Amino acid sequence: MAAGGTGQVFPRNIVAAAWGHDHERAGADRVDLNTVTEFAPATEATWRDGDAWLGGGTFLFSQPQPGVTRLLDLAAFDWSPVTEDADGVAIAATCTFAELARWRPSHAAFAPFAALAARCCHALLGSFKVHNVATVGGNLCLSLPAGPVTALASTMDGVVLLRGRGESRGMPAADFVTGDGRNALRPGELLTRLWLPAASLSARTAFRQLSLSPAGRSAVLVAGRRDRFADTVVTVTASTPRPVCLRFPAPPTPAEAVAALDAQRPEYLDDVHGNAAWRAAMTRRLIGEVLAELAS
Amino acid sequence: MKITVTVNAADYTRDVEPRLLLIHFLRDDLGLTGSHWGCDTSNCGACVVWLNETPVKSCTVLAVMADGQRVNTVEGLATPARLDPVQEAFAACHGLQCGFCTPGMMMTARWLLDNNPDPTEAEVREAISGQVCRCTGYENIVKSVLWAARRESGGAGAVPGLRPGEGLTGEGLPRA
Repeated sequence: MAAGGTGQVFPRNIVAAAWGHDHERAGADRVDLNTVTEFAPATEATWRDGDAWLGGGTFLFSQPQPGVTRLLDLAAFDWSPVTEDADGVAIAATCTFAELARWRPSHAAFAPFAALAARCCHALLGSFKVHNVATVGGNLCLSLPAGPVTALASTMDGVVLLRGRGESRGMPAADFVTGDGRNALRPGELLTRLWLPAASLSARTAFRQLSLSPAGRSAVLVAGRRDRFADTVVTVTASTPRPVCLRFPAPPTPAEAVAALDAQRPEYLDDVHGNAAWRAAMTRRLIGEVLAELAS
Repeated sequence: MKITVTVNAADYTRDVEPRLLLIHFLRDDLGLTGSHWGCDTSNCGACVVWLNETPVKSCTVLAVMADGQRVNTVEGLATPARLDPVQEAFAACHGLQCGFCTPGMMMTARWLLDNNPDPTEAEVREAISGQVCRCTGYENIVKSVLWAARRESGGAGAVPGLRPGEGLTGEGLPRA
């Protein structure tokens, strides 16, 4: 789970952390987690400053977290990774990518969602060893533009359930990520699960992902769904700092979809994973491909 | 914190700091230095071990998270009587040069063959993604895994991309 669990911007010095630290010093200090002094089951602790929720830890342990003094282990909740009923599917924050990719629904109608979920899981930059540990909640809370769970949840009209001090609330997943590394979490708040309504789980889905290398970080990710009554949702992530959701009461033409995209005046990311102009062009192209597949 | 971890079928109980990573617990507290500490950011894969029979990067797992769990490391691959076929394969096909990435490669390869006894070259390459090797260019590592698969299936003969007698360390060099 994201360190601190707040709407902070996370440092991106992953490369510096990988190659820049002093192994002589690190050998004595046990490297990056040199401020952590306590580890507690999340079920038995009350949040305080310096705490971080611990899910898979793949981000938390990958670079220095100087403000973290205590880790609250979410495994203590022992949540079932994925549960389903006729109303929809609930994915626990602690569900790993491997668990979600392996999941097969009991309700046959949810099969399209399961297929899209598996594709999104494989869109995570990381080998299967990372997929065995990285969690759905962690991916949402890290709130990177390329977070594939953000794309999945937004496309499926998912709702994230948040638990704070004495209160719980839900909010649309599409609104949860507010920017590159930013989200709507309040200090001490915990994302407990992602809820996906049945109405969207049986929709036809399509998915396109583009990156500069075969298994690289997503530079453009477009996912779409078309409901039984032809309502169409297209979500753009990875090329934009936060999800851009386009909704249409009937299947749009590519030109209509691109016009709707432009009307939202999205900002395109410009970094080593792709420049802004290329991302903008590819976003338009992939929207067309997704719509064509949904119509086929 | 006091933890008990079953490593290669032996129980170890130690007092550890909450921040201690599993890789350091294995290397520094248990003296099992076969697993290597590389990038410390879950990128290089030198530290891959199995946690409850599932490959993970032990630089992204705390030792306290392994409390009560089972861990398998590269030291547990061989028996006193023989090397694991994966280890044999790395020796036979020269699947290593400096050897730094080798323990993680082997633990990943062992898991792959346990779950997919007859992998394609593409499947091998996908499995070892997330394992960085700066020496071999991966070619001999892929050949090693395929060789091990054939050895375990009872097959013999050429591995794809390897001509008979080519590339097998020591092959064709009879003792004088």
